[in-house]
Amino acid sequence: MLSEKVITEINRIKSKYQEPRSTLLPSLYVVQRENGWIAPEAMAEVGDLLNIPKATVKGVATFYSMFRHKPVGRHVIQLCTNVACMIMGAERLVDLLKQKYGLEPNGTTADGRFSLVIMECIGACGTAPAMLVNTDFHDNLTEENIFKILESYK
Amino acid sequence: MEPFLLKNISNPNSADLSEYVKTGGYAALAKAIDMKPSDIIDEVKKSGLRGRGGAGFPTGMKWSFAAADPKKPKYLVCNADEGEPGTFKDRPILEKNPHLLIEGMAISGHALQAEYGYIYLRGEYPKAKDILEGAIAQAYEKGYLGDNILGKGIRFHLYVHQGAGAYICGEETALIESLEGKRGQPRTRPPFPVNEGFLAKPTVVNNVETLSNIPYIITIGAEAYSKIGSADCPGPKLYSVSGHVKKPGVYELPMGTTLKDIIYDHCGGILGDKKIKAVIPGGISTPVLPGDKLNCPMDFPSMPKHGSMLGSGAVMVFDESVDLVKVCLRAIKFFEHESCGKCTPCREGVGWLRSILVRINSGQGREGDIDLLMEVSKNILGKTFCPLGDGAATVVQSFIKHFRNEFENKIKEAVSV
Amino acid sequence: MITVTINEKQIKLEKPVTILEAAKVAGIKIPTLCHHEMLKPFGGCRLCLVEVEKLPRLQTACTLSVTDGMVVRTETERVIDARKAMLEFLLINHALDCPYCDKAGECDLQDLVVKYGPTTGRFAEGKRKHPESYDDPIIVRNMERCISCTRCVRMCNQVQGASAISMVNRTSKTYVEPFSGGRYNCEYCGNCLTVCPVGAIISRLHKHTYRPWFIEKNVDTICSFCGVGCTFTVQSRGDAIIRVVPEAGKGVNNGLLCNRGRFGYDYVNSPKRLKSPMIRKDGVLQETTWSEAFAYIAQQLKTIKEQHGGNAIAGVASARCTNEDNYVFQKFMRVALGSNNIDSVAGFAFAPAQRLFGKIFGQGVTANPISGIAKSDGVFTIGGDPTSVNPVLGLQIRAVAQQGVPVVTVGYAAGLRRFSTNRLLPAPFTETTLLAALVSELLKKKPLSGEKSAFGEIIGKLQSISLAEASEVCGIPVKELEACVENLSGVTNPSVIIGRDIIQRTDGHTTILLLAALVHILNGRIYLSSELPNEQGLVDMGCLPDMLPGARPVAVESFRKRYEEFVKGEIPSAPGLGLMEIIEGIKAKRIKALYVMGENVAFNVPGQKFVKEVLSTLDFLIVQDIFLNETAQRAHVVLPSLSWSEKEGSYTNLEGRMQHLRKAIGGQGIEDWKILAEISTRLGVAMQYRDAQDVLAEIAKVSPLHKGISYEDMDGGECMWPYKGEPLRHDAGIEGLSMPDMKSLLKKSDKSKLYIGIDKPLFHSASQSRHSAALNSISSKPYVKIGSSIAKRLEVADGDYVSLSTETDTLELPALVFADMPEGLVLVPNNVEERGAFKLLPWKLNAVMKIPALDGIEVTVTKSERMTAEVAA
Repeated sequence: MLSEKVITEINRIKSKYQEPRSTLLPSLYVVQRENGWIAPEAMAEVGDLLNIPKATVKGVATFYSMFRHKPVGRHVIQLCTNVACMIMGAERLVDLLKQKYGLEPNGTTADGRFSLVIMECIGACGTAPAMLVNTDFHDNLTEENIFKILESYK
Repeated sequence: MEPFLLKNISNPNSADLSEYVKTGGYAALAKAIDMKPSDIIDEVKKSGLRGRGGAGFPTGMKWSFAAADPKKPKYLVCNADEGEPGTFKDRPILEKNPHLLIEGMAISGHALQAEYGYIYLRGEYPKAKDILEGAIAQAYEKGYLGDNILGKGIRFHLYVHQGAGAYICGEETALIESLEGKRGQPRTRPPFPVNEGFLAKPTVVNNVETLSNIPYIITIGAEAYSKIGSADCPGPKLYSVSGHVKKPGVYELPMGTTLKDIIYDHCGGILGDKKIKAVIPGGISTPVLPGDKLNCPMDFPSMPKHGSMLGSGAVMVFDESVDLVKVCLRAIKFFEHESCGKCTPCREGVGWLRSILVRINSGQGREGDIDLLMEVSKNILGKTFCPLGDGAATVVQSFIKHFRNEFENKIKEAVSV
Repeated sequence: MITVTINEKQIKLEKPVTILEAAKVAGIKIPTLCHHEMLKPFGGCRLCLVEVEKLPRLQTACTLSVTDGMVVRTETERVIDARKAMLEFLLINHALDCPYCDKAGECDLQDLVVKYGPTTGRFAEGKRKHPESYDDPIIVRNMERCISCTRCVRMCNQVQGASAISMVNRTSKTYVEPFSGGRYNCEYCGNCLTVCPVGAIISRLHKHTYRPWFIEKNVDTICSFCGVGCTFTVQSRGDAIIRVVPEAGKGVNNGLLCNRGRFGYDYVNSPKRLKSPMIRKDGVLQETTWSEAFAYIAQQLKTIKEQHGGNAIAGVASARCTNEDNYVFQKFMRVALGSNNIDSVAGFAFAPAQRLFGKIFGQGVTANPISGIAKSDGVFTIGGDPTSVNPVLGLQIRAVAQQGVPVVTVGYAAGLRRFSTNRLLPAPFTETTLLAALVSELLKKKPLSGEKSAFGEIIGKLQSISLAEASEVCGIPVKELEACVENLSGVTNPSVIIGRDIIQRTDGHTTILLLAALVHILNGRIYLSSELPNEQGLVDMGCLPDMLPGARPVAVESFRKRYEEFVKGEIPSAPGLGLMEIIEGIKAKRIKALYVMGENVAFNVPGQKFVKEVLSTLDFLIVQDIFLNETAQRAHVVLPSLSWSEKEGSYTNLEGRMQHLRKAIGGQGIEDWKILAEISTRLGVAMQYRDAQDVLAEIAKVSPLHKGISYEDMDGGECMWPYKGEPLRHDAGIEGLSMPDMKSLLKKSDKSKLYIGIDKPLFHSASQSRHSAALNSISSKPYVKIGSSIAKRLEVADGDYVSLSTETDTLELPALVFADMPEGLVLVPNNVEERGAFKLLPWKLNAVMKIPALDGIEVTVTKSERMTAEVAA
């Protein structure tokens, strides 16, 4: 069940678009912000709110790689490994995350603290490698500073 | 050249409206609001401005098509889905100079007689969303947006619409689909968005940098503007430079600055003074160039003559230590990940390219693999629904063209084992 | 004029079309996979790439429109190389399990690979793995074969409007999926199956039971489920139907079907079919021979006729039987037995509504092509959900809605939920008030102009009722009513679709009158929903107590004389009894014998308990049917007849189109008309027809409307009312019609009360579909639909059992909870043995129209002790 807060927020967003269907992506974001991921029941409910068939909602939600379809940890590390980040050492960081936290791409740590998502370019090529932790941006990552940064996320 | 697009970005409060106004911000809007829409379009036409998203289509012409369509309402959409790997040129505008974009859109909205504008912002820029929304709220407050802009009865409303991780939505028809809440797959053209775009209404989709040039054109006039940079493709251009250079970053330079000047003069040369091996000049879908072919002006008409494209002006520099087969593989993995799945050659062919490259890169290459890569990319090239598949094919073809020996060596090692 | 050159051939075109269509005109075939004529161009598969002069890139023929002077080449080396390349790409992730795949032999991909190669694959890596899904009872989904052409998804979205499936994910990981990921839970139209070019979605009904080349016979015929009359091809082997397939461009359905038509055919091969005639001996039905049965019936009927006269005998004809069957039936009743007591369930709503509209506007006013709905500029529906009663007609409404045309839906029609511009849910049985207000308001906006007509005068007598007053009575906000009036006042040629539920009311006649007024003001076209395949045929063949074939009143001497001349016999001059009166007549012992052909009177008439009791008092009950239904179980003689697929004949659909029914397979019974002819002959009225064609030839003589009609006419495709015949053009007079009085319109319904209504399920139709294993696998249980407010009050969750009690009876049913149901109403379908709505609904008569009145029946709903036991089981 979507919370009252989520429903209110979706209805608020709805008012700014000329076409209710345009509200779909923002609405899915609202759900994801609240729950960390988008459960099938939530898709169906969003569909009901916006008068969009639920299968259509699912088709849309699964098209975009930033929507998540299984539960995630408290903090989501979105690490870029595209070419610019790769040549500046991003792959090594992926290895280190595995060593230190046992964290695999698309996986979550056993304690539910971190999830790791490998990103395509996040637009920080000049200060590569870079990552987003939740919505916080961190660049010029090194083998040392990445853990300092991550340790601030409890 | 004095920077215009990146003016003030060193000021920590550059995103604030009052800071923007202090240095002449919104003066162009004040001027344009009294101009006739068609005069603004003429001015943009005369300026010679070409779209900065990558295709380089003349902006004024695009506008005039939409303006000529009688259907109403009209929409202006800013393409802020900067997803082309290597590209981060729009980010400083979005995060540090948002009012320039807002001013550009308000002027463009007036020119097109569009009452609604959307900024389609990539999901990977969450910070920019907050900054833009804050700036838009300020602009409403001061009457630069709303139902009665600067008291002149002009109406323009602006919203931020966040994407959710789909490179293809940088393609304008896919972007419109996404804006309509659909899967971001490109549409058949014609009809073009200028006639049937968002909600089947005339829609102009312009890149962030393109729209940010509009206040400049209005301020200094089309004639002065057209004298900046390359003659047939004028204006300032943002180049985002990454990889093995001493000073990577975004540079605002006259259109047509050569690659060599960008890398050596502005970015201080190669990191650790190593030898340069290769450059991707315009974002990952543009053909790679060998490190000894840098004497090419970075503008739309010149680059094809030198075997590549300007693209988004995203320069990626590789020093001698880089394994280009691996780079090629990573690039193809990106295209595979981002293929929307609509058309056969891109959906199936790019995955095939990836699997061959994985084989070669992991020491399992076979004789004939290079020919097969060339053949598969030939079969993709020119046959896909949109340019995404072409990008993948071009990457493979250009890497093999210039660095065939690297592929051969990996295969030879594998075969001899 | 546009001139295009394709493969050096010059083609002249009136208007720009796609290269693909232009090539088709020139007889040039361009291969395609994602393109389908029923769908919008997509451009995804890239098989149709062609060379266009002056364009450097190859172009997709399916998306690019031709321009004057365009030069196209479709078979150059470059084009053929591209085709080969696309096929090679498609085979990368295609299972290549052709020896095992049902589609082999009729697979577009297989055919194209055979034609263009490649013969060997160069893709050396593993294919996508995706286990075949057997989660659904009807559709098997094999995504290893899917080529992502998205035809099924586009069909489901664009045409069916169900949007039950979608492409999920992107890249080569994209595939088709229903929301649940397993079971489809959709409308089961199966139109996705029609368009799948490969074996990615397969009907489970015939999976691994046949090869396309095993099909022995292809027979084009007409669906027997509803009044739309869809055309399809029955494919059979021996006497078994393997499947039915529609074809784009054929029939009213133009390639589409609904779930009943596509999957419900299997009742024909049910083991429960009657195989032998039976006579009741010692209280038990016992098998007998045909000749013994004929002799017995003839003797019994003769005795009753001699003792009590023809008026003591009544007959019930069938909307599932052909025109030929029904023609012979009324002739048998009138001539051999001397009775006008002939009716059918069409007499409950379809026939009386049509008669009243005919009286007002002239005969044939409801004969409007279904295809016209998609061309209208507005739709008004009332009296049930057309998307479940007449699903393929419903698709026209959805199509026109998607074009932005206003659709006004009155009453609960779930299938139009996403397609209605104005969705009005009046309090139970207050539609008359709503209609009166709409008519009053519309009269203000669109006053009647032109010549004064008699009907215009009647409309003028309507006491004006305001939207505010209607809002009070109906419980609909005034704003919603205003929006509806606003939309309706803008239309100039709307389609008005009227269902049975709005007619079977105490005030059904006034409702019809108001609907007629609405139609008159809006210049609308009337469509009468019809749940059965040949209700119109019953009317036209004279299976009514007062009408002869060709819809000629029996009471008019000239018509009667003409009929008598043709049939060489005398018939009673006074109109007979309708079905409701027949049952009353039986109760009153005036009717001694009842002849039932293909109708389940004991189930399909409200007040089942009462009707069953009455039927058991008959001296003689004859039932010819294909199943031993509730009526047959009470019969003295039961005769096995043939199903729709086993005989030749014709149906007349709801738009008045006559269609040729062809024999596809053999069956164990005898044609209904033939049984009747045999008995008639034994009664001394010889009927010697060799085949159905002979019967039709007689109809063509006897019925002025069907003058000269033949199967060839029907096969020609356009066989619309009034055919080549003479419709009745006389001033029927509309005296006696009057608008409802104000008092009744302003009567508010009691909000504390719950009323029962009839649900028309999408997956079942009357009592025939209960024998379809396929339809039962989708849905076999009866249910009650309740609104969420009632559910909340009773603390009932979806699937919990509730007990429903009316003055008549009590039923326990699982509840289906819907948030958007109108308050005060619960809906129960009437399909399943012992558990139908007509068990709860009483025997109640609309005295004016002599039809059932099903409104205002209170029901008490309580949470059942039984809880979810049955659901769990």
